[in-house]
Amino acid sequence: MTEADKGRIDCRNIGVVFGSGDARTEAVKEVSITVEPHEFVSLIGPSGCGKSSLLSIVAGFSKPTRGTCTLDGVPIKKPGAERGVVFQQYSLFPWLRVRANVEFGLKMAGVSRSKREGTARTLLGLAGLLAFENHYPDQLSGGMKQRIGIVRALAANPQVLLMDEPFGALDTQTRTVMQEILTNMWQRFRLSVLFITHDIEEAVFLSDRIYVMTARPGRIKAEIRVPLPRPRTAAMFGTPEFTELVHRLKGLIREESLAAMGSELDAGGVEGFSMEMGPNGVEQLL
Amino acid sequence: MERSLEMEIKRGPSALPVQCPGEPSTRRRMKVPSLSGAPAIVGRILFAVVSIAVPIVLWYLGTRYRVQFYIRFQNVPTPLDVFHEAVRVAVSNAFGANIVNSLRRIFVGFFIALVAGVGLGLLIGRYRVVNQLLMPAIEVLRPIPAIAWVPMAIMLWPTTESSIVFITFIGAFYPILLNAVGGVQSLDGVLLRAGRCLGASEAQLFWHVILPGVLPGIFTGLAVGMGVAWVSLIAAEMISGQYGVGYYTWEAYSLVDYPAIVLGMITIGALGLLCSGAIRLAGQLSMPWLAYVNGARK
Repeated sequence: MTEADKGRIDCRNIGVVFGSGDARTEAVKEVSITVEPHEFVSLIGPSGCGKSSLLSIVAGFSKPTRGTCTLDGVPIKKPGAERGVVFQQYSLFPWLRVRANVEFGLKMAGVSRSKREGTARTLLGLAGLLAFENHYPDQLSGGMKQRIGIVRALAANPQVLLMDEPFGALDTQTRTVMQEILTNMWQRFRLSVLFITHDIEEAVFLSDRIYVMTARPGRIKAEIRVPLPRPRTAAMFGTPEFTELVHRLKGLIREESLAAMGSELDAGGVEGFSMEMGPNGVEQLL
Repeated sequence: MERSLEMEIKRGPSALPVQCPGEPSTRRRMKVPSLSGAPAIVGRILFAVVSIAVPIVLWYLGTRYRVQFYIRFQNVPTPLDVFHEAVRVAVSNAFGANIVNSLRRIFVGFFIALVAGVGLGLLIGRYRVVNQLLMPAIEVLRPIPAIAWVPMAIMLWPTTESSIVFITFIGAFYPILLNAVGGVQSLDGVLLRAGRCLGASEAQLFWHVILPGVLPGIFTGLAVGMGVAWVSLIAAEMISGQYGVGYYTWEAYSLVDYPAIVLGMITIGALGLLCSGAIRLAGQLSMPWLAYVNGARK
């Protein structure tokens, strides 16, 4: 295998079950997903569909009840530097300045100080953050912290990048800008990316391929290829192809959200209520 | 402390075509005219002077008019008596030796408590097995106050000196240990996960994530531990000591030397303040990033 086609994630027949007896919850059922080298793949679905559980398995933080995940044919058993993770919560080390945060992965790998500094400064420069290399994370805005989180993951030179709703905590405006920054950085580094989100437009804008998951227990409901050309720009948001794709995905997701809420409401003893709510009620929630 | 992170909004240099809206390219601390700068320091000193002067004035008035209303100022020495005593002992070698002895005992006992408390605390916080093995014994021993260890310490240790250091250690040990344990247990899990997926081994995780992450908790433990160490030291010196400010104070009581009693108390207060100040300074120097965490500060 050459360096060029490294970074293939392959998850087969993944099942995740929490608890046992009455408390038994089947979170994920028979999910198989792949991410090809250099491919940007999103996983979308209603909340609680187990998409974060899947990412946590690929990252090596947890083990599936059934099935296996491999990276380039090697089974995933624990976290490792070849799989970079960007978290939804801010996860920068507050005691390290920005540059030291970015250098962390290289330092763990035993890379010399001068080499670490060079890499970190280059990457911070690309992300437009070099002016902040000596700041502490608590001096920065949320959007900047997440950008540094991405830069820190990239600096460790991973083969794949796993992103768990990285822009979920940001306001809409910052979010749109972050999506552009991410697609630009991806264009440059061409890593395999597995991206978790519940934002449909975000998934369409960023991805080559999108998996839609069902409500609990999470299964793959659909797999949709995004034919939009690369590199992506903000201008694509309004194009007919974009809108059509978003519309189609919204339909798929709405069915699932209804199903998810329906089962929750039924479990709460409000029979038939979920159907009476009608599509408009859910649309507002979405 | 008043601190303002006024930001100046301007576009930073960026290789990418986009910049987050409203993002500061530099942040710097700017002076707020009314509350920071020179007037704030003057105000702070003024408050400190008032805070210390009020009790001294009350003490002076109590002794000046020999106040007796349940509390009796009859035998209490005046501030001036104590000042004369201070001047008298300042030129004697014995008083200096008392201070040096007490400080040495504090340093040795506290240092051992620091190493043992932080080391064990991190292990207990991180590993369930160590926790289950050590915590039951610690929970049984912890309610025994350091003073209650005095008779046992005299039996156990070959010299008075080592038994006093032991008691100082006992006093400081538990707060340091428990704060380190609590610090590990309350450390944000996402930081550990971030460390692991950036390739950190368990040892690297300990040194580069857990230790710095727990440092604020450790310093809380050190500040509390230093206070308890002084309480324990003075008690031990009063009971079994030779030299030391606790011994000096108790000896003055035996000799009915009233001004010396008060001088001993004030010396203990000043030395305790000095030690807490040193810890606070060490905390600020080793955790400069905490200055940017605001918490509930007003």
